[in-house]
Amino acid sequence: MIFQLTEEQNLIRNMVREFAETEIAPTAKKRDEEERFDRPLMFDKLGELGLTGIVFPEEYGGAGADYISYAIAVEELSRVCASTGVTLSAHLSLCANPIYLFGSEEQKQKYLVPLAAGEKLGAFGLTEPSAGSDAGGTKTTALRDGDEWILNGTKIFITSGGDAETYVIFARTDKEAKKHNGISAFIIEKGAAGFSFGKKEEKLGIRSSPTMELVFENCRLPAANLLGKEGEGFKVAMKTLDGGRIGIASQAIGIAQGAFETAVDYAKERKQFDTPIGKFQGIQFQLADMFTQIEAARLLVYKAAYRASKGLNYSTDSAMAKLMASETAMKVTTQAVQVLGGYGYTREFPVERMMRDAKITEIYEGTSEIQRLVIGSALIK
Amino acid sequence: MNVLVCIKQVPDMESKFRVDAAGTWYDTTELAWRMNEYDEYAVEQAVRLKEQVKDADITVLSIGSDKVKETMKKALAMGCDRGAHIADDNVSGKEPCEIAGVIAEYAKEKNFDVIFTGMQSQDRGSGQVGVLVAEMLTLPAVTTIVDFVYSDGRIEVKRELEGGIKAKVAFTSPAVVTCQLGLNTPRYPTLPNIMKAKKKELLSIPIKDLLKVDARQHTDKVYFPEKKGGGLIIEGEPAELADKLIQILKEKTGVLA
Amino acid sequence: MKLLLVAEYRDGKTLGNSNELIAFAEKVGGEHAMFMVGSVSSLPQYDGKLFLADAEKYGEYSPTVHKHLLLEVIGRENPEIIVFCHSSYGWDLAPRIAWALKAGQVSEVVDYVEGTLVVPMCNAKLRREVEVNTDVTVVTLQAGAFGLAELPTASPSVEQVDIDGTGAIEFLGYEEAEAGGVDLTKAEIIVSAGRGIGKPENVKMVADLAKALGGEYGASRPVVDSEWVEHTRQVGTTGQTVAPKLYVACGISGAIQHLAGMKKSEFVVAINTDKDAPIGDVADVLVVADLKQLVPMLTEKLNVR
Repeated sequence: MIFQLTEEQNLIRNMVREFAETEIAPTAKKRDEEERFDRPLMFDKLGELGLTGIVFPEEYGGAGADYISYAIAVEELSRVCASTGVTLSAHLSLCANPIYLFGSEEQKQKYLVPLAAGEKLGAFGLTEPSAGSDAGGTKTTALRDGDEWILNGTKIFITSGGDAETYVIFARTDKEAKKHNGISAFIIEKGAAGFSFGKKEEKLGIRSSPTMELVFENCRLPAANLLGKEGEGFKVAMKTLDGGRIGIASQAIGIAQGAFETAVDYAKERKQFDTPIGKFQGIQFQLADMFTQIEAARLLVYKAAYRASKGLNYSTDSAMAKLMASETAMKVTTQAVQVLGGYGYTREFPVERMMRDAKITEIYEGTSEIQRLVIGSALIK
Repeated sequence: MNVLVCIKQVPDMESKFRVDAAGTWYDTTELAWRMNEYDEYAVEQAVRLKEQVKDADITVLSIGSDKVKETMKKALAMGCDRGAHIADDNVSGKEPCEIAGVIAEYAKEKNFDVIFTGMQSQDRGSGQVGVLVAEMLTLPAVTTIVDFVYSDGRIEVKRELEGGIKAKVAFTSPAVVTCQLGLNTPRYPTLPNIMKAKKKELLSIPIKDLLKVDARQHTDKVYFPEKKGGGLIIEGEPAELADKLIQILKEKTGVLA
Repeated sequence: MKLLLVAEYRDGKTLGNSNELIAFAEKVGGEHAMFMVGSVSSLPQYDGKLFLADAEKYGEYSPTVHKHLLLEVIGRENPEIIVFCHSSYGWDLAPRIAWALKAGQVSEVVDYVEGTLVVPMCNAKLRREVEVNTDVTVVTLQAGAFGLAELPTASPSVEQVDIDGTGAIEFLGYEEAEAGGVDLTKAEIIVSAGRGIGKPENVKMVADLAKALGGEYGASRPVVDSEWVEHTRQVGTTGQTVAPKLYVACGISGAIQHLAGMKKSEFVVAINTDKDAPIGDVADVLVVADLKQLVPMLTEKLNVR
């Protein structure tokens, strides 16, 4: 067992960090305030750097790097801007990856290649008003009509919704089948007749990443847009979410790291009673706990990423990583605000934004409760 | 076309420095290392030159312990074709003339058309190596360039002088140029190029094979300048204070020269 | 000890840094002479012998030609120390001379203490004492590190220098500085306005001082938020992080957000009525005064200097 990044992984971290600090960080505060998604900055540039297809083979326009590199990239982006982090994570893990895993060669050429190259932005639509982690509750329907599918229904809380061009969507293709069976995955492109966007969510955090409602009204899709086999949509969704959890866990680690570093810098500078507050044991203990928790969570994330890269089963690993990392992010960011005191509560420092951003990591792509279910059921089965 | 870029690995200048045990350099443990900022511009300009002329081969050279290979990998990922690592575990003990001698010895029969260096290193900051390499190889050298145009063997550059003034000069290759900040915008190495960099040639050459110049100077001592903290407080009549302040600025800073 | 001082001339004028060379020579002690490629119509103030090569004949800076002219003088004078300013001229020419003479060169000297040369390292965070192993030493002096209390008033006695020779580098012309957007991170001198300036009209006062010092003006957050100064000039966590040679904080109390943006400055002057303001912690000099009185006075004195 070697706890050391490879040369490539180090280079990738340095590159993404430099990029994130120079290009992404300066506008993070303003974009958050304006709830503005800056596509050229937050996505197109990632494409130019080869981040949008980082884990896919070169023949599909990817960089052929491993999942740890991917985790590092999301982490470094999220360290300065969680919205940019989730943009990459949702694009790669939730849209490009299921097409890579389940798509036909033709679908990969048509959809994955431009996604990997960063020419098209991807999104994922599973959640509905009455179905989230309970994919079996999916109400959106897709009915076969000759060579076409007709979709009807609504998807909510869709990251990059509206801005994305390519969507992986889940719909019930068999009304008779129970629960998980009878759901299928589809690839839908923005502009398809009958596919429109509903309201844009106003959120607590990750405000620079758009979250939209997708509406399908007699949306007709060619049969060729079915992703994977008919009726196997649930499997596609679960496999996709295994990978997605690595992305979100990495996002959480990045947020925590950003808040932690701000707290350390502050503790070295801020003087009370003529002493930098970092010299007080009360503050040191807090910083020590923050650092320890982040490192522990990071190791879990890298382990899950390692297993994903090696083709090993990583479902439980990614659930543990996401659970630990997101709860760590929430704890660490809250503590960072506390270390900064009154300043931490103001928008002058980024920790209040990080605290707001951290909360979502405990919720999306499976709440912490769901992660515990995943882990627990694997233990008991 | 044959291009050489000389780069140095230096500590991140934000690091907390300590003086080493011998008291003649900074302690090199527990520092974050990166490519000398000036050299990033040199690498970028070399890669742009290659993109312009198409048929070019860029060698990136660096002197130091195995650790400098990390920085060389970045240059390879930015677009250099091969690396020449001059292995030396005591690079901080080498003075500029020795460093230049090693580079010149490496470069002498390789027919480089253009040699790029940074104008100085961020740690030692002597600003001598590029010019010395050129003198040793009897090549023209132009320092502190902020603009570089190559056309068919003729090179036209702008040198940064004082007060924002630039001098435009022209010369023919082979030549050495030393790069100033702002010459270009160094690219981020892309993911695919980072992955490709590991397959590029990176040869190590022991420094003793190339070191033929004797040291002409040595460091006696490294120390921290007097601490600030509890600065001077001056009070009094405004006119008197203004005179006093001007006097202090004259004595303590270089800005009123 | 015998020194040869290399003065600078550009575009028809002797540059003002020759007195730094003289100051260094006086600190070292010994006899000295000066060399310049320039013109009798613009001689440096120097009470000594000047070896002068005619700029009309040799043109603007050409490394090879200047090198050979200087080597000609060195051959006549046999100096032990050859002194340049650490300028675009000095750092370009000095290594060529050092190599030709097989001499050690010490760059950007800031002090001379009992025979050893002191230079900065790592962005001036550290100092290094250097000794040269060769008989002849070449040095370049950090701009402003050496200064004369009084400028010499005499004119030098001139001895002409002539050689034959051309260089490989062709001079095409000068390009003047461009006006345009401000980049505080590149400014060597910054004078910043804080809440203490009181009203927007007083920004000009601060800008004038910056101009008199040859620098740029900046501002703290509250001043920018009040839209008295544009955001590109804001120093601090939400603005620019700067590390100039001189930072003058006018009416800035020193909130931690501001300090984070400027504490790496080499020399900090704070002008504040409050002696206990936190800016005092990072200031090399705290001038306890009302900036509205002091700043215009300072500007005026600097301008007549």
